[in-house]
Amino acid sequence: MLSEFGLTALFIVIVLGFSVSLVLIPVALRKPGIVPHNPSDIKSAPYECGLDTIGPTWVQFKIRYYFYALLLITLDVVIIFIYPWAVELHNLGASGFWPVVSFLAIVGTGYVYAWRKGALEWK
Amino acid sequence: MEVRIEPCYPEIDAHESRVIEDLKSSSTQPIAEPSGWLDEEINRNILVTTVDKLLNWGRKTSLWTETSFTACCTFEFISTSSSRFDIARFGMEVLRSSPRHSDLIVTAGTLTWKMAPQIKRVYDQMAEPKWVIAMGACGISGGIFADSYSVVPGYNRILPVDVYIPGCPPRPEALLAGIEKLRKKIEQSSISNKS
Amino acid sequence: MAELILFPASIRSELPFGFWLHLAIFAIGIIAILLTSVIIFIWFERRLVGRFQLRKGPNRAGPFGILQSVADVIKILTKEDIIPSRADKFLFWLAPVIAFSPVVVMLAVVPVAGGALLADLDIGILFIIAMSSITSLGIFTGGWASYNKYSLLSSMRVVSQLVSYEIPLILSLVGVVMLTGSLSLDEMVNAQNVPFILLQPTGFFIFFIASLAEISRSPFDLLEADSELVAGYNIEYSGMKFATFYLTEYCEAIVLSTLTATLFLGGWQGPWLPPLVWLLLKITLVFSIIVWIRATLPRLRIDQVMGFAWKFLLPLAVLNILLTGSFVAFWPEAPSWMIGIANLVLLIGYILFRSRFFKPGGVTVGAS
Repeated sequence: MLSEFGLTALFIVIVLGFSVSLVLIPVALRKPGIVPHNPSDIKSAPYECGLDTIGPTWVQFKIRYYFYALLLITLDVVIIFIYPWAVELHNLGASGFWPVVSFLAIVGTGYVYAWRKGALEWK
Repeated sequence: MEVRIEPCYPEIDAHESRVIEDLKSSSTQPIAEPSGWLDEEINRNILVTTVDKLLNWGRKTSLWTETSFTACCTFEFISTSSSRFDIARFGMEVLRSSPRHSDLIVTAGTLTWKMAPQIKRVYDQMAEPKWVIAMGACGISGGIFADSYSVVPGYNRILPVDVYIPGCPPRPEALLAGIEKLRKKIEQSSISNKS
Repeated sequence: MAELILFPASIRSELPFGFWLHLAIFAIGIIAILLTSVIIFIWFERRLVGRFQLRKGPNRAGPFGILQSVADVIKILTKEDIIPSRADKFLFWLAPVIAFSPVVVMLAVVPVAGGALLADLDIGILFIIAMSSITSLGIFTGGWASYNKYSLLSSMRVVSQLVSYEIPLILSLVGVVMLTGSLSLDEMVNAQNVPFILLQPTGFFIFFIASLAEISRSPFDLLEADSELVAGYNIEYSGMKFATFYLTEYCEAIVLSTLTATLFLGGWQGPWLPPLVWLLLKITLVFSIIVWIRATLPRLRIDQVMGFAWKFLLPLAVLNILLTGSFVAFWPEAPSWMIGIANLVLLIGYILFRSRFFKPGGVTVGAS
């Protein structure tokens, strides 16, 4: 099994190298003049439909899905528990079923609470 | 909480009119038609003709159009890109909103001096190589508004136009003929032809 | 011969340098087949969308216009590279790499024939889920690093979609895992004497919709809404870096089609034809459905997108887990048609029940 993980890691390295070279091709082709390169102040300014940009871009602003992100973190943890259970369920049988149902019921209570509190509304 | 809006409109207006007047005074003569677009250095390359052929084929086959249309000729462009005339046959149905992705700017319609700095800026921000098609009578010479104080008399005052398509507005067939001309022009734009 | 070409794991240990040979064959094979199919599928989509809109589509470059995407690649490769002066340069260069790499890596655990896959990880599904989240991070990085207000807003939308649709996507696969009893994709395909789409129509429904949202295809392509966001997260990218993002989108669509084919349509299994051909045929089928959806449905509003994930898909996914789980736990020898019918009844009943809350005329989907 370790060799499979080794293969995956090597494949990730190969793909990373491939995509880096993909991005760097134009830099290599710039030298013989195949890729034009005439930077100017206007060209490297932010594009906003022909107007100058006003004010900084990297400012704090309300992203509106703070509650969704909190719920995502909670539920992601739940899912990690559910996967091993799902793999072994046919061996566990009924005795393994009810604990997870009660677990889901607890999480579901929190979900219903979040819904009733309006955390799932896009405001 | 009360939001206070600063009364800064006079300054913005003054700035805008300064920009427009500058552009107006600096572009009294039409810009000449561009002939070449590759760098001079490629002259030294041995593979130049083969490379040229390949590049020209790729460039003429996928001309992505910038969606910056100023006036009514746009509707002829839209009708050209929809079912009956189908600009997609030439691989041109990809309309990109960002000038970074697009190769071609079709100047469909009347251009006022108020809009001219923006169009010039969009053209300046396009990634090279880039081409311009002046579409319609207003695009060529200002059309029936040629004498107006507020209308740019032809796009070639601010942009280097490659192909002119007459008509008011040009029919889709005329636009397709213009695109065909541009494709021919891209095909010939090799170094040996460069004057 | 076919045995040798597909190189199953059983003959890997018999050959000298079997490990490296295996890696080389599969790494080159996956990247080559993926890139070729991207080029063909882009052309295929443009032709198909053309047909849907009573047009011809690209037909000038090469026979039937099949070289259209090749021309696009040549053009875009030799286009000027613009780097905004105020951008975060390092992240600006890094973002396409982050976005593109995990999509290709996902294919490492997908079998192309019995036992023929790059790495038979016993956590295959978890690996895919982990990798599928990284692409959105790459897109977010690109949108943030560009120093452009529109791309920043667009990349915020990417994260909001990721946050919303990740849960239903992952939960929809639990039913498949329960029926198989393994997380390895190879064993999942082997377990599909009956394609899982017949046993798990609910799971298929959720998985397909949620992954459409994860890869931001129509009707969930909010991050590229031209009318609101100009060109989306890649507005400042030009040349090959933009092409890498473009490639990522199509690779994602193809990988999604591959996963749908592998997990729900029986993967490489099929009579008469070689396994790889069956897999490619099923990928083409799923991809055509994606294009069909793109040509048919209009774009959704953002509150509809979020509400649909949290209020409609998530309860349905949990119900699906409970239904399938109770079959597996209490009645393991149940005939498979019964599981399928029960699942279908759940899906249809849930949609009918929930559609009572849906009023045509502007009320958000799933509003209570």
